[in-house]
Amino acid sequence: MFGCSLLRRAAAVARAWQGLEVLRARRRPLHTSPQCPAFAKELFLGNLELKGIFPFPEVSQDELNEINQFVGPVEKFFTEEVDSRKIDQEGKIPVDTLEKLKSLGLFGMQVPEEYGGLGLSNTMYARLGEIISMDGSISVTLAAHQAIGLKGIILVGSEEQKAKYLPKLASGEHIAAFCLTEPASGSDAASIQTRATLSEDKKHFVLNGSKVWITNGALASIFTVFAKTEVVDSDGSTKDKITAFIVERGFGGITNGKPEDKLGIRGSNTCEVHFENTKVPVENVLGEVGGGFKVSCRNVLDSCMGFFCHVYFSYNCSLELTTEYACTRKQFNRNLSEFGLIQEKFALMAQKAYVMESMAYLTAGMLDQPGFPDCSIEAAMVKVFSSEAAWQCVSEALQILGGSGYMKDYPYERMLRDSRILLIFEGTNEILRMYIALTGLQHAGRILTSRINELKRGNVITVMETIGRRLRDSLGRAVDLGLTGNPGFVHPSLGDSAVKLEENVYYFGRTVETLLLRFGKTIVEEQLVLKRVANILINLYGMTAVLSRASRSIRIGLQNHDHEVLLANMFCVEAYFQNLFSLSQLDKYAPENLDEQIKKVSQQILEKRAYVCAHPLDRTS
Amino acid sequence: MSWVLARGLSRGWGSICWDTLSGSHFSQVTPQAPWSLHYSTVNHKDEAWLVPQPSEPQRKPIRVLTPHEELFRPSPDGERDKASFVGAVQNFRQYSVHKRGHVDFIYLALRKMQEFGVERDLAVYNLLLDVFPKEVFRPRNVFQRIFVHYPRQQECGIAVLEQMERHGIMPNKDTEFLLIQIFGYKSYPMLKFLRMKLWLTRFKNINPYPIPRDLPQDPVDLAKLGLRHMEPDLSAKVTVYQMALPSDTPGAEDPTQPHIVGIQSPEQQATLAHHNPSRPVFVEGPFSLWLRNKCVYYYILRADLPPPEEKKVEEIPEEWNLYYPMKLDLDYARGNWDNYEFDIDKVTEGPIFAMCMAGAHDQGTLIKWIQGLQETNPALAQIPVVFRLARSPGELLTSSGLEGPSPLQAPPQGQEDDHPLQPLQQQGQSGVSGA
Repeated sequence: MFGCSLLRRAAAVARAWQGLEVLRARRRPLHTSPQCPAFAKELFLGNLELKGIFPFPEVSQDELNEINQFVGPVEKFFTEEVDSRKIDQEGKIPVDTLEKLKSLGLFGMQVPEEYGGLGLSNTMYARLGEIISMDGSISVTLAAHQAIGLKGIILVGSEEQKAKYLPKLASGEHIAAFCLTEPASGSDAASIQTRATLSEDKKHFVLNGSKVWITNGALASIFTVFAKTEVVDSDGSTKDKITAFIVERGFGGITNGKPEDKLGIRGSNTCEVHFENTKVPVENVLGEVGGGFKVSCRNVLDSCMGFFCHVYFSYNCSLELTTEYACTRKQFNRNLSEFGLIQEKFALMAQKAYVMESMAYLTAGMLDQPGFPDCSIEAAMVKVFSSEAAWQCVSEALQILGGSGYMKDYPYERMLRDSRILLIFEGTNEILRMYIALTGLQHAGRILTSRINELKRGNVITVMETIGRRLRDSLGRAVDLGLTGNPGFVHPSLGDSAVKLEENVYYFGRTVETLLLRFGKTIVEEQLVLKRVANILINLYGMTAVLSRASRSIRIGLQNHDHEVLLANMFCVEAYFQNLFSLSQLDKYAPENLDEQIKKVSQQILEKRAYVCAHPLDRTS
Repeated sequence: MSWVLARGLSRGWGSICWDTLSGSHFSQVTPQAPWSLHYSTVNHKDEAWLVPQPSEPQRKPIRVLTPHEELFRPSPDGERDKASFVGAVQNFRQYSVHKRGHVDFIYLALRKMQEFGVERDLAVYNLLLDVFPKEVFRPRNVFQRIFVHYPRQQECGIAVLEQMERHGIMPNKDTEFLLIQIFGYKSYPMLKFLRMKLWLTRFKNINPYPIPRDLPQDPVDLAKLGLRHMEPDLSAKVTVYQMALPSDTPGAEDPTQPHIVGIQSPEQQATLAHHNPSRPVFVEGPFSLWLRNKCVYYYILRADLPPPEEKKVEEIPEEWNLYYPMKLDLDYARGNWDNYEFDIDKVTEGPIFAMCMAGAHDQGTLIKWIQGLQETNPALAQIPVVFRLARSPGELLTSSGLEGPSPLQAPPQGQEDDHPLQPLQQQGQSGVSGA
């Protein structure tokens, strides 16, 4: 008996040690890479970087109390005083609503406290964003103001610039706008036409050009403007480079076009902004001259993070309203809620909401950790996932209500219109997918360079090693990346899902290696491949987030954690099979892969610029 | 040869014929079956219905008055339309109640169809078939079925169907009913009919670049159509640089202002803008383009391939895409196993900048075209333009080089351009113009 228990304990210890070994093995590349690697980038190598992910990031009790202090009045204001329907119909946020928002301090949520803002962390910002997003127009107005408009000043502004502009921006006295897009330039920075030329006395730049679709364009008094300037290179040649400027409306020469009439977020102000001989003092250059590209890159990617929370609005509210409808409306003497097809929709909405929340707060937590590496891939993934989920869920919610959902009496049609923009702005989801995939592949490609070169040269050892590994993989080996087991990071009730995640991660790493071997740097041109890579990565991140969150909920015994386990397992299984499918599509000569056909069809259509099929009623005789 | 054809025929019948064409009969049928058919009437009509030319004086120096010709004489009011054609056919039927000489009449009518402008009218073909007496030529016993029953009549029926085929007319149920009534189900016209049913539908849309059946009569519209037909880029813009003077203006026999229609795509415009001004561009032509039975001539503005040292390497700007890297910083390229591009020996050619069609084929007209182009392509003002005009358009040269135009190649009467030769021969081979 004793021997038996001893054996068992020994086995447990051995397992634990094994787990530690695995952990250590995982950590080993840490020392070789310059800084702590980001989670998503490591996934491309088939590694699960668990630091910062497991356990799920928490906020302290003090912080939580602080958040709740803010949340209370804001929530009260939004539920009682904001009339979203009126804002949507009139296409304008009433002045008193804006004033109230300012007095609540919502214009300076992320501005550091020393400049008069609230200085909220990303997590707290996300929490407040949930409430603010009850109205799409206000949410976008605020996001354009602080997530992109003044973010540049916080990120790269000098001390003087911060001191000069941030206090008034934080109080809402000034509203900020971000002027990047031009008629000829969306994400293509090279085609920016707005030009800033240095005056002869070298004291100011003269700004000329026009920008389109500027959110808050008519309200704003501080603009972050991107323009081309001539920069003398180190080798003496002049080059056009992008520079960012802080432009006050008072500098003169700034005019607005008329507000654009939009599909959704109709209350937010969007218009053209024209600059005509606007004199901008040299000290208002944001960052350095010619460094605007970096500023804009950081800004737009950072803003992804700022936007995810604005997606959330659809859920709480739509779920509540639709459940009530489903439980009261009777058809065939049964409540709607008794029909399987309706139940499915609620499950889908709950699952999406859960994943979205988990991903968002996980990312916010990662961003809040001091010294944590750049999480822009994660932020982009959150944006892509949540915007698509929002669109899907709102449309499902509308579907539950059937005909009534289509009427203006219910808020669903407005939510649907509002949520459509989420897929488009701050980088369309297509572009963000490219970003997600390419950034990761760049990282993996660099690390794998020597290995791939050896494989290409036909180094016998490397080739044999690879073949051996393939053989072992094909015989179905169990992948253990240290999530389960004892001590496992994941609660045993989520063990199956964790194993699925590990398997996906491992084979994803293998696939990435094969892809790099096959395509090398020309993978940039393989957009359909990149799309799949990004989709897999988003799923993996979602799985990790739900596993981490659900494990925490179980361990600390949160309310309804069994429900969370259900949702997490459900999502993991779904994502697992989606990933398997995508991975098999990425194989060479995969029958599931229809890329060639897709390209051919679109080529024929685009050649004729029309749908080329004959009408079904056409005859030849 | 004949055996092959016969085999083809018998295959065509497949199951239909198999019971009648048993092995022993096969050898007997083959030598005579289709071939003798053809030779029986080949004497004077064969060519005529191969190429439906209303008038071929050079082929027939002695014109024999064919029977029934008088039926197709122009009526007093001189109208030649469907009604008069149908009238002629009705007249024949009344005039010869026993349908004597109907085969000759049908051949004649087939030849006359184009004159009356009814060659695309299915009802008229059915009317012609209706001239045949019914039930007479149907094989009644197995021997008749094996041998070609009434070969001359069957062949005439095939001739009707073939003319339909040439004009792309699809036979319908009425045709089928008539053919069954006249020749029976197992006859050669019926075989022809079934084949037409099968193949005509498949061939109808075989041309990926279809041309409208009725071409526009206006030369400007025709030129627009031709230019669009040649230009693959749909965003190319057709410009009418000059309209021809209306023909009723005084002195119209010498139109001093011919039409000029040009086409240029945005991409061509961009290429021209980046053309090195020290290298000349060439106006070349005329080249011919056939649109159904019309021939039009076009000119191109082109340049030689720039020498390799002048080729600009397109560099990827550093600061280009705000969101994702446009190129990866990796030092390995695509694997050889994943290079799906065929190893094609590509012959690179110089760029073509624009095309035009003009009403006159002289340098003066083309200079006007270049001047018109300069408005949209300011770069062209700096580039020397060399006119390299051929003495005569390529296509016509070959056909006019022969002794008398062959019926297939000679343009029909309504042809647009019969005389581009004279003006072209007068002008110089080439000339440099500063333009």
